[in-house]
Amino acid sequence: MSDIKIGISLYSFSTEFIHEKLDFEGILKKAHDMGYQGVEIVAAQMVPEYPYPSDEWLAECKALLAKYELEPVCWSAYIDMGIRSDRDLTEEEIIQFTVNDLIYAKKAGFPMVRTQHAISPKIFRQMIPFCKELGVKLTIEMHHPHHPEVPVWKEYFEIMKGEGKGWLGFVPDFSIFQTMPHKLYLDQAVSFGCRPEKLAEIVELHRNHADYSVVEKGDFNDIEKHTAEEMFGKFSAPAKMEQWKDMIDCAFYMHGKFYYLDNDDHDPCIPFEEIIAEVKRLGYKGYIASEYEGHHFDETIDSEEQLRHFVALMNKNLNA
Amino acid sequence: MDFQAYNKILICKDDIENVTVGGVTIGYQFKIKYPSYRGAFLSCIEALSFKVDGRDVPAGLVTFRLNGKDFLLSELPECFKEYWFVRTPAVIFVRQDGGIAPGEHTVNVYMRHRVPYTGYFGQYLTLDSDVTETRKAV
Repeated sequence: MSDIKIGISLYSFSTEFIHEKLDFEGILKKAHDMGYQGVEIVAAQMVPEYPYPSDEWLAECKALLAKYELEPVCWSAYIDMGIRSDRDLTEEEIIQFTVNDLIYAKKAGFPMVRTQHAISPKIFRQMIPFCKELGVKLTIEMHHPHHPEVPVWKEYFEIMKGEGKGWLGFVPDFSIFQTMPHKLYLDQAVSFGCRPEKLAEIVELHRNHADYSVVEKGDFNDIEKHTAEEMFGKFSAPAKMEQWKDMIDCAFYMHGKFYYLDNDDHDPCIPFEEIIAEVKRLGYKGYIASEYEGHHFDETIDSEEQLRHFVALMNKNLNA
Repeated sequence: MDFQAYNKILICKDDIENVTVGGVTIGYQFKIKYPSYRGAFLSCIEALSFKVDGRDVPAGLVTFRLNGKDFLLSELPECFKEYWFVRTPAVIFVRQDGGIAPGEHTVNVYMRHRVPYTGYFGQYLTLDSDVTETRKAV
């Protein structure tokens, strides 16, 4: 058996939540019934009165997690830099949002806050004393289009490995390894006006690492060109498996991002076989969250069925 | 394209209701929700406009009701402390003497909105949600 546990980001049930098929408690019950233990909550999504939740709600959240025997793993926060129309957030405002999220996480029983890259190295470092005081860890998600070679991440890793060791970490999201467009993306592209045979041509060009200029000069309509440009940028796998060894000691948690699975064995978009083999080999101990994200593209897909495929795929690789 | 499926929740399924004050019908209202997987600060709405039965609704006749408050459309860009929870409908009230005729109407909502955390390399993602639905007035 592996030391890696499969958890769930409740965000995986976005479709059911926003279409009001399941409420917060309904999602917790579903997660429990599916056999999950560790959970992540995206506060800006599911917390009423966000960004200023009441103590009553936070206590109720903690009680509901206990009722459904779910372990609070990660409180997910945002650095909403662009809230204001006239300017970006100031340092003072970023600190305020971060301090608040650490407090809310503590009150709801979560040992970790996941924030975003825009926090800045300076503020990330400044949070260390407060994290220690509260006993809550602070992590930054590394999500596509970011990857280990983006300059600011060099600074973040220095802080995590240095004075923030044990308190500051990162959450790699497997989108940094995505190599091919998924089915929901392609179906949506057709619904927006891509001709299926032309889209297939674009996918082949992408698979063969062609340059976008080939599409730009070719016989494609505007939506096909737009789709190709997005596809070539988005499914470009900027991270490499060799980079795990230099950063795994800072990974407190991971996002098992996926968009669509039609079976229990393989995802053509994200190389789970390679990822899981490598993080196992390097001795990662902790949760990998199930993070279904197909809801951005198609609200008719059943999230639970997707999650069942994901758990089977993960177990196969964890036990390999 | 990310976020596009969420446009399905923009115009709520509820009927259009006439609004009557002391026996006088002064307008009508319908409900909309924020088209995303998470809520938004109202200040992230860069443009919001409506068409009913193909005709533009003048912005000056519209009130945006949320969190127990009324907002003019022109005030939204300033509302950086006002959060629109993803499951909470906002009520769009349109002043119109006599209200709207009972029966089916087409409602179009156009919203341009900024995703405030997306500035990975300096540019915020700005989305256009442009949805037309048929709703019944009662």
